[in-house]
Amino acid sequence: MKEKKARKRPEFPPPKKDKLPPFVCDSLEKAGLSVKDAVFCCAGDMDNSQCYCDTRVFFDPKGLYVIFGEEEHPEPRKLKKHKAMPRYRVNTVVSIPAEDIDSLETERYASTGRLIVRKNGEQRPVTYFSLGLIGDFDRLIVAFNSFKETGEAKIRENPDEKNVCKKCGAPCPPGKDYCRRHAKTGGTAVRLVKFFGGYAPQIAAVLVMMILSSVTMIVVPQISTRALYDNVLANPDGKPVNEMLKALGTLVLSVVGIRFLRTLLEVAQDYVSAAVMPRVIYDIKLKIFEAMQRLSVSFYSSKQTGSLMDRVMRDANNIYWFFTEGVPRLIIDVATIIGVLFIMFRMSVRLSLFALISAPLLLLTLILGDRLFRRMHHSVWVHHAKLGSMLSDNINGQRVIKAFSKEDDELGRFEKTSMDTRNAEVKLGVTEATLFPLLEIAVLMLSTVVLGYGGIMAVRGESGMTTGTLLSFIVYLEMLKEPFGFLAWISNWWSRCADSAQRIFEICDAQPDITEKEDAVSPDKIEGHIQINELEFEYEPARPVINKLTIEVAPGEMLGIVGKTGAGKTTLANLIARLYDAKDGCILIDGIDVRDLKLDKLRKNIGLVSQDIYLFIGSIADNIRYAKPDATMGEVIAAAKAACAHDFIMKLPDAYQTRVGAGGQRLSGGERQRISIARTIIQNPGILILDEATAAMDTETERNIQHSLAMLTKGRTTIAIAHRLSTLRDSDKLAVIDEGRITEFGTFDELIDKKGEFYRLYDIQAQALKTIGIGEDEPKKETEETEDEKNED
Amino acid sequence: MKTDDIQTISPETLQTEYVSPSHCIFSLTEYGFLSAEINGKKFGRVILTEAMPLTMPDKYICISDIEKKEIGIIEDISGFGEDQQKLIMSELSQRYYSPVITEILAIKEKFGNFYFDVKIGEHKKNFTVKDISKNIRNHGEGFDLVDIDGNRYRITDFKKIPAKSRRKLEPYLY
Repeated sequence: MKEKKARKRPEFPPPKKDKLPPFVCDSLEKAGLSVKDAVFCCAGDMDNSQCYCDTRVFFDPKGLYVIFGEEEHPEPRKLKKHKAMPRYRVNTVVSIPAEDIDSLETERYASTGRLIVRKNGEQRPVTYFSLGLIGDFDRLIVAFNSFKETGEAKIRENPDEKNVCKKCGAPCPPGKDYCRRHAKTGGTAVRLVKFFGGYAPQIAAVLVMMILSSVTMIVVPQISTRALYDNVLANPDGKPVNEMLKALGTLVLSVVGIRFLRTLLEVAQDYVSAAVMPRVIYDIKLKIFEAMQRLSVSFYSSKQTGSLMDRVMRDANNIYWFFTEGVPRLIIDVATIIGVLFIMFRMSVRLSLFALISAPLLLLTLILGDRLFRRMHHSVWVHHAKLGSMLSDNINGQRVIKAFSKEDDELGRFEKTSMDTRNAEVKLGVTEATLFPLLEIAVLMLSTVVLGYGGIMAVRGESGMTTGTLLSFIVYLEMLKEPFGFLAWISNWWSRCADSAQRIFEICDAQPDITEKEDAVSPDKIEGHIQINELEFEYEPARPVINKLTIEVAPGEMLGIVGKTGAGKTTLANLIARLYDAKDGCILIDGIDVRDLKLDKLRKNIGLVSQDIYLFIGSIADNIRYAKPDATMGEVIAAAKAACAHDFIMKLPDAYQTRVGAGGQRLSGGERQRISIARTIIQNPGILILDEATAAMDTETERNIQHSLAMLTKGRTTIAIAHRLSTLRDSDKLAVIDEGRITEFGTFDELIDKKGEFYRLYDIQAQALKTIGIGEDEPKKETEETEDEKNED
Repeated sequence: MKTDDIQTISPETLQTEYVSPSHCIFSLTEYGFLSAEINGKKFGRVILTEAMPLTMPDKYICISDIEKKEIGIIEDISGFGEDQQKLIMSELSQRYYSPVITEILAIKEKFGNFYFDVKIGEHKKNFTVKDISKNIRNHGEGFDLVDIDGNRYRITDFKKIPAKSRRKLEPYLY
């Protein structure tokens, strides 16, 4: 009902958030505020004392205007019938002349944001807003500040405006017309069914077999009950015993034959389903995996690995079980209900109507019971999930628990959570134990009443009612119980399946943030000339990570980047590799914007060696030739030698065929890093990014790796990000980054002579190394941690 | 040892500077921002952040300058005079403001999202919570709900909201 009501609602036009709606303009004009020169507008939801209201903020060449008011939206019915318009009531207007504003800025609090005006270093608060609107206010400040600076407002594209729900105007997933709240499950069902399109003959065969199976089930009581009682046991024609026994034998054989036929049909149906369903699930899993490979890094950063694996495995299985178990049963049950009702009405219309009067009541009881149980089942599920998390937490943290001698405390925590789970289960069990017999009694009472009424009809001989007819009628009535119960429950099962399907389609439909232009170029060779101009980037609105950064690296040059954690070093590397797109500014490679380059060309020419070394499951040789699968064994050995990996590889029993990755040979951090360097050497990229490639290693190991890195960087444009400043001594240029800006730039010697931040960091580090007894010119024997030891650490 | 690790262990950072109420005076700037005079040094605008915002909102409050550099920590605001406490609490209540849910009108689940229709005082509000087990956080007697935009909503005392509302939320609580 509610869905129907929702469908009647008028469709929203996509809101233009940077323009004032006409009804607001009218109200403002009436209040004496001219909006004709408004440059940019944004809507807020709070006033300056954090009370909810409908705030509008806009600016024109004269200044900034903040209007606190209330919007009144007429009922959707009135909106359609009487063409009633929304109204805006102005409560307060705050206007700040343009000359009193140097710039606008936002501050981010726990749950709100605040718009602030800055003049001569002084701050003046303007209004609060919910944190969800910070993106809109960020666009306002960019527009205002650029307008103030250049006389032209820089209006950033609003990603939310591209795709809004036709029902409510809320942002919705790319490629969709409706938000998740108003998405229609019917559409999901149609898309799911399309997966079965390639198996139409098999599905048709299964359907026919299911219907035949239902027919065989319905026919049995006609023979085993009605014919048995009325034609054999009652012996209406007074035939001899032998003849009656013969008739009885025929009946029994018929029943056996029908049951045998039914079993055959079920086996055949299961056989075809077993052949079709895994293929459909294979298609679905392949489609998800294919879509996941297409998506950008940001998609993976915003989702947990577990949740993604769930989608590939559990969600696909949810669909599998619904279509393997649920749909066949649904078809059989619907066919059974239709068939049984048809036979019941053929037997006695009066008795059927009498029986069906109470059926809605029974159905209602089943639906209410289902709702109650769903809630209780969810509660049990939630408690189990908590218990599971706690158990996993405990197992993973065993070393810490033992080190702190916290076994008893952990036991206490587990006991409490376990007890909560137990209580939830007891509550569910008790409710089930109480309600199920009551439901049984209700069904039994219905049968008894029908039996009583039918009995009266049989005694009176009304409507041709016989003992056999009555008994088979009762059997048919019983046969309806399970299908009706299933129908009351299947909606829940379908909603779970639709949930899973929707999650799967969300991945399939997701658009990668990084897309290749249609006219993207693919130069023959990339020299490695990098120019970064006024680069700006943020992961979250109003939290800039890279802030107007400009830098240039000549081909073959090595640029060292230094800075604190969170300064934006890795982000910069990711932006060069176009794993993310900049918010503003640009990165040029050989004079071409990275956004205009073919992604394949760009990525093949950028080699990334990071501290997070990932080796895939397979042999060492497979891992080294990952970037170039057709590399000869000679190339693999040459790369391994250049990366100083050949010697240790040859000491392994299976040498280059040693299996690594999960469950494979244990290698030390340094060994794994050398394999990853060999992998990059074989890629032969024009540009190399070393993102703290040796940060996870001890100083001695790092020194041994340095030689491999030196081989790798030879003749390539290199951007080296490192914590240990001594490793950047060979850099042609060094940049110190702080809060996304370059604070110092120059050669190693220049920065040391400058005695600034770089010198300070270098000095602290040199002293620290001296304290632990590591001199710069005393290379020591490599002492590396094994992979396991590292993980344990 | 990493560069920033070395920075972190500098003695001035390691030392916790507790601010004594007798050496700290808060006041408001012309536009209502909090400023302070600490140990005789004047700060134009200071920012207060809570170390334990859920359970100890009035203890261990960090004072930073506008560059977010820590000036000191207030161990407990009860040591301050009434007027000063009011200023501190007013600043904190603005920074940590969360709309308080007074009634839950409906919770609907669709495709793994939970759509909340609630009342915040007299104002009706709807929001969406994803990954409900992580985004409903318990604190003492109540809960914090975090919606998909990062907005927080608070139920200060679960026992005090109407029974109907409690029944609606109960199945989703840990």
